[in-house]
Amino acid sequence: MTERKLSAEDVRRLYDQHGPALVAYACSFVTDAAAAEDVVHQVFLRLLSAEIAIPDVPVAYVYRAVRNAALNAQRSGLRAVEVDPQSSVFQHRCGNQESALALEKALAELPEEQREVVVMRVWSGMTLEEVAAAAGAPLNTIASRYRYALEKLREKLRPYERNENGTMEDGK
Amino acid sequence: MEQWKMENNDRKFEEYLGEFRPRKPRALPELIVHRQVWPRRLAAAAAIAISLGASLWFVRRKNELNNGEVVAKDSTSMLEAKSPASPLALLPLTQVALQDPKQLDAQLTAASLRVLPDFRGSTSTLRVLAKE
Repeated sequence: MTERKLSAEDVRRLYDQHGPALVAYACSFVTDAAAAEDVVHQVFLRLLSAEIAIPDVPVAYVYRAVRNAALNAQRSGLRAVEVDPQSSVFQHRCGNQESALALEKALAELPEEQREVVVMRVWSGMTLEEVAAAAGAPLNTIASRYRYALEKLREKLRPYERNENGTMEDGK
Repeated sequence: MEQWKMENNDRKFEEYLGEFRPRKPRALPELIVHRQVWPRRLAAAAAIAISLGASLWFVRRKNELNNGEVVAKDSTSMLEAKSPASPLALLPLTQVALQDPKQLDAQLTAASLRVLPDFRGSTSTLRVLAKE
């Protein structure tokens, strides 16, 4: 597998495209959104320093790097900032903060490999083939993980899904 | 059929999940810094290159001037050696002897007046010794 160093422009593009999803991903390892953002920043700042040669699929590397950095941050537990229990890393388009918090909680409760697939697929906009390549797992395995993850999330978000769909239909 | 139904449900739920957007993180500060640092580094590199080039040019120029002075000094000393007023020097005298033996005699005579002790004047060495 070939490796290369990303230009600052490449890093910026990667950050714009996957930054929000990566923060959501990191959020399930650390205590709050601000800590997750710090973790993602840390990874991208290292990429900007151009000291690291990364594989041909940068997204896969970035997800691994964010995971490791988040786990390190979790272990060190250095963050002393007061966590706001009402702030979520997600925002629903109807502005329902409750469902956003429920989603964040439900994601955090998923097994790591399932959570990773959901975040990559839904918020990084990757196809399951791309997720399989990034995760280094067979496509069937990734598809199964995704389906299990969706089932669990649906179960936990069902009340909010109904309400929000109802609200949106009422709004029409 | 069951599988299709399942996939359809999944797609709908996937769309619902897509209604949630992860909060956009703050901009990377280092990106801005990079843009500012890059021209500075370039300017610094250019300044160093220019100063280095100028130094080298001055050094070369100085060396050339010094070489010119040495050559000029050499030729001047040769001329001085050839003139009667200069002290004795073997090389110019040899050259003169080869080219014009009469001129050599004249130069040796002139030089002897300056180099050898004077014994013709009233205070000459020989006269002083003779009195004693």
